[in-house]
Parts: sequence; C-alpha cells; structure tokens
Amino acid sequence: MAASNSSKLFSVGRSILGGLCNNSIGSIRSSSEMVQVDFLSQQQRTFIQMRTSLKVVDNSGAKKVMCIQALKGRKGARLGDKVVVSVKEAHSGGKVKKGEVHYGVVVRAAMQRGRCDGSEVKFDDNAVVLINKQGEPIGTRVFGPVPHELRKKKHLKILSLAEHIV
Amino acid sequence: MRLEKCWFCSSTVYPGHGIQYVRNDAKVFRFCRSKCHKNFKMKRNPRKVKWTKAYRRLNGKDMTQDATFEFERKRNRPERYDRSVTENTLKAIKKIDKVRVDREARHHSQRMKGKKAQVLREATKELEQSIHMVKAPAALQEDSSLTLPKIKVKVSQPTEDNRMLE
Repeated sequence: MAASNSSKLFSVGRSILGGLCNNSIGSIRSSSEMVQVDFLSQQQRTFIQMRTSLKVVDNSGAKKVMCIQALKGRKGARLGDKVVVSVKEAHSGGKVKKGEVHYGVVVRAAMQRGRCDGSEVKFDDNAVVLINKQGEPIGTRVFGPVPHELRKKKHLKILSLAEHIV
Repeated sequence: MRLEKCWFCSSTVYPGHGIQYVRNDAKVFRFCRSKCHKNFKMKRNPRKVKWTKAYRRLNGKDMTQDATFEFERKRNRPERYDRSVTENTLKAIKKIDKVRVDREARHHSQRMKGKKAQVLREATKELEQSIHMVKAPAALQEDSSLTLPKIKVKVSQPTEDNRMLE
C-alpha cells in the first residue's frame, strides 16, 4: 500500500517520494525505478538527510562530511538550509579535524529548488560550507558556484567569499 | 526579468518555466522544458538533433546572419528608465519582429524554389502508373481525355452505358 502510494506520488513530484524515502520500502522502489530507466540516468534527487555524505567547498580543512541532522525540514535539508555534520575526511593540519561535529550550510544541492519567479535551479552535487553556531563560516574561501538563495537566509559572509553567484 | 534562451533548442524561456542546471564550473544551462533537459542528460549534441535551432542554422535551413539579430544581443548594462525610450522600444520590437519573420519566410521560399520541373515529372509519372486507382482501366480505353495524350484510343461504341455502370 505504501508502495502504490509512492508510485502515485512519483508522477506528482519526485521530491515528495524522496521525502517518503525514509523507510526502506520507498528507497527500494526508487532504486528499482532507477534501474528501469538507468540508461537515461533519471536519478531521483532528494533531500539531504541523516547519513548523506556531502562535499566541503571551503578551506576549513574538512573534505568529506556526513549529515547527522537537518535542522528545519521534516524530510530533510535543501539548498540554503543549515545542517549538523560530522567530519569524515579532513586535510591534515586544517582548522577542523576528523570526527568533529559542526554546523554547515548547504550551498549546492542536486535536488532542484524552486525560485520565486517560478523557475527551478539544480546543481551537480551536494556541497556544504562549515559554519559555527553563530552562522559565520569557519573557512576563509569558498569554491565553486553558490546560489543567491543564501542572501535570503542571511549568509551574507559566504556570498561575499563566493567566486561565482548563480 | 529576463527572457533567456534554452541551451538545447534555443527557444525563449519565459519566467516561471524551465529548469536551470548549474555545473560545478559555474556554467549555467537553461532548459525551456523537460524534453530539452532530458536530451541534455542523454548527452545529445543539439547540433545533431534535427528539430533544434542549432541544427537548422548549421544546415542552412534557417537564416544565420541578419541585421535583425543584432537587436536581440544580450546587453549587460542596465538602461536608465525613460518612458519614451520604453514606448519606442515596444513599437520597434513589433516592427523588427515583422521584418524578421518576413525575411525568414523569404529565406524559406528561396530554399524551396527550383523544384517545379521535378514536381512536374513526378506528377506525370504518378498519373501514368497509378491512374488505375482512380479510374477503371476499361473507362480509360474509351475516354482518351483521362489519360496522357500518347495513348491512342479508337472509339467505336457509344460510351454512355459504361459510364452508367460506374
């Protein structure tokens, strides 16, 4: 029954199905959908939730990070949201060490996010910038494009460090 | 508000439509609809896909160089708002569109020209070969006007009876 529900919802919106992906039935369905149309690489892009591995795009020292909690959002974090992360991989001698817990801001998400003019944006990968509890970035540089959704969320420091704003 | 061009098919993307995909090298791809987006994900080259503007321009099906295209060049300098300029621009847009459409029609008719002889030859051939689909062969022998002049017919009997049968 949950499977048939999710199949109906699949046609409505991928993101909703992704939200229901929290249980294993949903995720198996989505992976089977993937296999059926695998040649066209129609991947379901979903929220950033617990255990999502993310790339770090600042020079704070961390390289790969795992999301432990998406603050705000029942189904998970999207572009521009804050997350709590645990550092899995770090550069030696950086500000941040492996195994530490920090906050982060999602600056690139593979899941499309609607803009206020009605269009949608999506990026190639999932990336975060590590911040402290106050919201200031730990690193001093940000790599890659960032969306201007951050302006609304008041992450102006990150925007100022960014090399390309989309 | 800005009217963008679809990366794949080169049609205009109006506000509220389409998806923007931002690659990690900060290149933005805009798509007018999911058809173009899916073709992009399949890694198809728009220059080889017949229905796109890129293909048509490349293969000489549509106009490539024209003075009217200069008006649509992207300008990055914001213009100071001037009511009279706006009015004149709106009038000019209409006129330029009309001129461009006329020129495109002319280009198309120019391209389709030079087929009169071939069309005539094809028509005569079809008349010779497939006239049996239209009129019974018996009727043809009696009425010489239905066939081409080279078939000579000797009319010895009255033809009204056969006509009634048909």
